[in-house]
Amino acid sequence: MSAGSGGSGSEAAPDPDLHAAEYVLGTLGARERAEMARAIAADPGAAGRVRAWERRLAPLLDAVPPVAPPARVRAALLRSLPGGPVGSPDQLALLRRQVRRWRIAAAGAGLLAAGLALFVAVGSRPEPEGGRYLAVVQGGGALPALIVRVDTRTGIAQVRPVGADAPAGRSLELWYVGAEGPKPLGLVGGTPSRVTLPPGAAQDGVIAVSVEPPGGSPSGRPTGPVVYTGRLIAE
Amino acid sequence: MGGPTFAAGSSGTAAPPDARGSDDARLRRLLAEIGRGEAGALAELYDLTSPKLFGVILRIQRDRSLAEDVLQDAYLRIWQAAGSYDPEAGRPLAWLCTIARNRAIDGLRRKGTVEVQGPVRDDGEDWVTRLMDPHDDAAAFLDREALGACLGRLEPAHRDCVVLAYCEGRSRDELAQRFDRPVNTIKTWLHRALTSLKTCLEAVS
Repeated sequence: MSAGSGGSGSEAAPDPDLHAAEYVLGTLGARERAEMARAIAADPGAAGRVRAWERRLAPLLDAVPPVAPPARVRAALLRSLPGGPVGSPDQLALLRRQVRRWRIAAAGAGLLAAGLALFVAVGSRPEPEGGRYLAVVQGGGALPALIVRVDTRTGIAQVRPVGADAPAGRSLELWYVGAEGPKPLGLVGGTPSRVTLPPGAAQDGVIAVSVEPPGGSPSGRPTGPVVYTGRLIAE
Repeated sequence: MGGPTFAAGSSGTAAPPDARGSDDARLRRLLAEIGRGEAGALAELYDLTSPKLFGVILRIQRDRSLAEDVLQDAYLRIWQAAGSYDPEAGRPLAWLCTIARNRAIDGLRRKGTVEVQGPVRDDGEDWVTRLMDPHDDAAAFLDREALGACLGRLEPAHRDCVVLAYCEGRSRDELAQRFDRPVNTIKTWLHRALTSLKTCLEAVS
């Protein structure tokens, strides 16, 4: 790994360890960085030196305060993912097989104050490349209250609140509503979580969110009225 | 919205001291799922870690819209590379931050020499102070302590060069301007500082 020979003038062949250190530090130029990246891929010795320096300096990253990025980056990122490394052409068939393993990731705060429920019809139509569906769930106003994203390839659904407040002193509960009636899936917490749909769940079932007493419905049946509705559309 | 869970560092959102261990396990599980092509896992990883990565990127690439591009680019890279994540390589959040840092610095260096990066908001000492602030991550306490102590033993100007390069992506040229020294002197400072840092860290651990 003798990057730098014939490089920017005065440089003698750099000490490999210091060169790795400067790579990690970020003070090498573009050409040296590219050379080093190639060396890391090809030379375990170089990779080991770089890794050791990454470990030495990494505690400094703890000193960097987090900054929430704007939502458009997330949307653009998910749009830009390639069609699916494990994707089969028949996404709808895949969806039908996977449906019993679907999990719902319920994220974020809550919904509007009054009793509410969110109904999402699942699996209405196949989608060309990713098996991804989106539901923009509205409560009658212009702004969406929730965005529900279902990836049929991965069997993961995510529920993201956009402009809604949690009712004080109440819990939000997720339900799967199938032919046998509603089954509780768990509470919607303040942090993202995942739940598994009950065995036998079908793609024409419905996901609901209801407002319940703290800790969830005492009866095992949802008690909140339907306020929000949303339909899945191919993304 | 979107729950910035990994608010490591001086965010003030104290997590339980043992939270980090299970966080690591969760991130490792997500990386394994992403490695199998599960887009939903990438979305979840993004929700958990993007504030931290954006913070890291924004310190280096101060143009916000360019920083957003770097963030997206970093997660695409993570999408491609997750399958090759080796837990031996370090903790998952550090691995993710390294990818973000490298993308940000590559972007700066490719654009050529001294970009006007706005006024310097911190000097090296501020970073070291923040490093030594109380953190919520008990597991990394000893590492931080050691690095902080070893940085503290460097010549202040040398230490500032190291810290400003690492945390803010300053190039040798920028450091030369800032410290009003020839670039070769900066290079010598960096090499000296890095050499003593390594010796010191090996002695401490």
